[in-house]
Amino acid sequence: MTRKTLRLTALVLGLWATSTPVHAAMSRGFNRLLDAVVRIDVREETFDSGAIRFTGSIGSGVILSDDGLILTNAHVASPRAVELSVTLASLERVNATLVGWDHWTDLALLRLDLAEVKRRGLKFTHAEFTDSDKLYPGETAYAVGTPFGLTRTVTRGVISNVRRYFADNRGVEGYETGLFNTWLQTDASINPGNSGGPLVDEDGRVMGINSRGYLGAENLGFAIPAKIAQRIVAGLAKDGRITRSYIGLVPGSLLDLESFYALKQNTGLLVNSVDPGSPAAVAGLRGGDIVLSINGAPVDGRFPEQLPPIQNLIASLPVGSTVKLVVKRGEQTLNYAVVTEELKSRQGEEWAFEKWGLTVRKVSRAYARENQLTDDTGLLVIGVQPGFPAAVAGLNRGDVVTKINQQSITSLDTAKKAYVAFTEKPAPTLVEAQSDRQVSLYILKP
Amino acid sequence: MKFRIHSRLPALLLFAFLVPLAAVRAADLPALFQERVKSVVAVEFFIETELDRRPTVTSAFVADANGTLVMVPGVIDGRVQSSQLKDFRVYLPGKPASEFFHAVYLGQDPLSGWHFVRVEEKLRAQLTPVTAFAATSALAEPAMADDYWGIGLRRKDEDFLPYFLSGRISNVQSLPERTAIALAELAAPGLPVFTRDGSLAGVALGGFGSTYLQFSRSERGTPVMLMNVEESRVFQLVGAVLPWMSRVPTSINGRPIAWLGAYGLQPMDPEVAAFLKLGNQSGCVVSEVLADSPAQAAGMKDRDIIVAVDGRPVPRFTPDQVAVSYLEREILKRKPGDKFPLTVLRGSERVELVATLADQPKLQREADRKYFEKLGVTVRDFVYGDGVMRRVKPADQRGVIANFVKNNSPVGTAGLRPDDWILEVDGTEVKTYAEAVAKLAAIEADATRTDFVLLTSRNNATAVLRVKLK
Repeated sequence: MTRKTLRLTALVLGLWATSTPVHAAMSRGFNRLLDAVVRIDVREETFDSGAIRFTGSIGSGVILSDDGLILTNAHVASPRAVELSVTLASLERVNATLVGWDHWTDLALLRLDLAEVKRRGLKFTHAEFTDSDKLYPGETAYAVGTPFGLTRTVTRGVISNVRRYFADNRGVEGYETGLFNTWLQTDASINPGNSGGPLVDEDGRVMGINSRGYLGAENLGFAIPAKIAQRIVAGLAKDGRITRSYIGLVPGSLLDLESFYALKQNTGLLVNSVDPGSPAAVAGLRGGDIVLSINGAPVDGRFPEQLPPIQNLIASLPVGSTVKLVVKRGEQTLNYAVVTEELKSRQGEEWAFEKWGLTVRKVSRAYARENQLTDDTGLLVIGVQPGFPAAVAGLNRGDVVTKINQQSITSLDTAKKAYVAFTEKPAPTLVEAQSDRQVSLYILKP
Repeated sequence: MKFRIHSRLPALLLFAFLVPLAAVRAADLPALFQERVKSVVAVEFFIETELDRRPTVTSAFVADANGTLVMVPGVIDGRVQSSQLKDFRVYLPGKPASEFFHAVYLGQDPLSGWHFVRVEEKLRAQLTPVTAFAATSALAEPAMADDYWGIGLRRKDEDFLPYFLSGRISNVQSLPERTAIALAELAAPGLPVFTRDGSLAGVALGGFGSTYLQFSRSERGTPVMLMNVEESRVFQLVGAVLPWMSRVPTSINGRPIAWLGAYGLQPMDPEVAAFLKLGNQSGCVVSEVLADSPAQAAGMKDRDIIVAVDGRPVPRFTPDQVAVSYLEREILKRKPGDKFPLTVLRGSERVELVATLADQPKLQREADRKYFEKLGVTVRDFVYGDGVMRRVKPADQRGVIANFVKNNSPVGTAGLRPDDWILEVDGTEVKTYAEAVAKLAAIEADATRTDFVLLTSRNNATAVLRVKLK
């Protein structure tokens, strides 16, 4: 549930509160869990207005260990966060730092300022995970968190589905999510601010991390399963990031296409598309191919729910390793060896050139591909500030800056150097930018 | 009818000599108006699509004594195929709209953008070409505050009743043709504009809007652009448009169309021109040089800046965008095979190029197409422009484009959308339009077919679509 997408009125909330009676005696585990759930206040930078601005938001989180690791959503705490303030169950506030984030699974890991905790003699507990593979539809589930800032709110429902598929190319602050995992679905009320809080069983064991809901729907909430969360937590705690492999296959579900491809049911993965220039494209794979096995293991991609685990299988391989694919194309069976690359987001790094009144995002390969750019050269303009040189020159949001003073902008650093030169010795600066493949020239004047 | 014209003209001229000027003004305008109404008509035609037939009604002027009528550029969408244009009807202003004359579409002139129509013989005698009102010696450019006038036409339900419009000149500028802007609407778009004494002064242009603020209960002062589609305050001067009158297309597609292949010409503002030390002239950036084009053959490179044509520097216009129209006109004025000498700025170097213009590759509106009603799709030939949009090299061009997809039809339900590129049908590549049509026709004709499979491409990503037929 993103805080930014769903807006419910206080009246509706009030109604729900009265229809959620707590009648069972609270278990010790549940009580302990409540002391491990925190409210997270985030102050973060935004780059979309031609200058660095700050916004504030509220989310939830759950403490995982005695050394103060807190799990929350990537859309609550991202690298844009400049201040993370955690409110413990005791209502005491402690600062925290970002350990790492993974937008693909919408998870982020924070660490409490333990020195401060110790100095102030604060207490907290930590939560335990349950085995999310053993969950069943209809099982009671409680969402705990800070909806709309209402600290320590518990709502109740059931697990509605244990293996929901949905992927969103811009779901986490413009970053991709959901390609490598399925989600738990629940009807426990999840509202803006619940994000990052745990979905727990009656003993307070974490089944998943509440993440999102459908806009305009009632009680269609989604959580990252505990099993996936545990793996991500381990990776983030160790390296601060999750490294994944990429070969550029875009799968589609086979559904009723088996007969067309003369396949036995429950065999094969349909290749809907192959990203141009990707390792799979270079190796020769094409849209319409059927992958029969990956590194010798048969694959079954009949239903959409089956795709994330297969994607994850490839993503989990070491970067630079060789994947052996057996592929059916028409009557032929072909063998391919594809060398993986590191998976990159379509969302590039953002930056503000404040004296130009210009904020940009590095063009990624995926962005270039989607927008028919020849390569990933350039910076996408995501904001211009009225009255500043970029706006005065006529640059607009959506333009891609490809050259500054005749120099090709292949990296953010090249642009930063040009900016430093401008700030040290202001002089008219020639900018080449394109919009919808139309190339124009602009002058940034001091 | 015919008699009246001849009998009244000498009388009017005599009248003008005898009476003081002020008195002429009051008296002769209705007479001049009656004469000149004979050079305007209303034209109705239908654009036929897969599902419907939409009427368009517009005004047109009479260009010559052969019944040639001219309609303004914007009246037909550039993607509409000439075979979709049906049933041209010509109405005389103020005559009952139940009476009309048939006409045929002749095509669009690439330079002026004008659409030419020819009306059946029996009406021709009742029409007077606007050229009949052209001054014998070159007309002076309109002076500020001078009065000009023209004709407006009411709508069809009012029998296209002609009415008088007039306005005073506010200013004259180059867009790139010399164009006058008046203080008030002075003619319907596409109809002639006259001087006070009835000489042809130009042709009114549509497409100019004015910005207003819109206030409502909930919103305060939202800027909106309003465009008067029935009347215009802007006209291209007779000096620019008179030579266009004779540009009647010799083919319905307006061919030949001179083509350079410099894609995405973009103007520059004076600051950029000053930075590039261009002085008081301007230039246009070539966004991309298209594959296999005259520009490429001449050695033009992406991002070259065209600064001169035939040794003449690209003038500076206001607004800057006019420089692009200027260059496009320079190309379209010429014929395929003509030499086109250019000076480009590449980095800080000036390079002289000579391109040999070619005929424009087949346009989208010229592409062959076929509608498969049962499947719910119209496919068309993959033309050069499709390759440009999709960054496909001419050598790799294949397949067909979905030109139309019917809602809730088998292919629509399968997820096909207009402009999708169809690469394979039933797992085999379709190399040509003919191949694709043959395959789809066979599928459509086969009553036992339950489904078929398409491999399509959209935004650089392919997708396999299963189309269920039953």
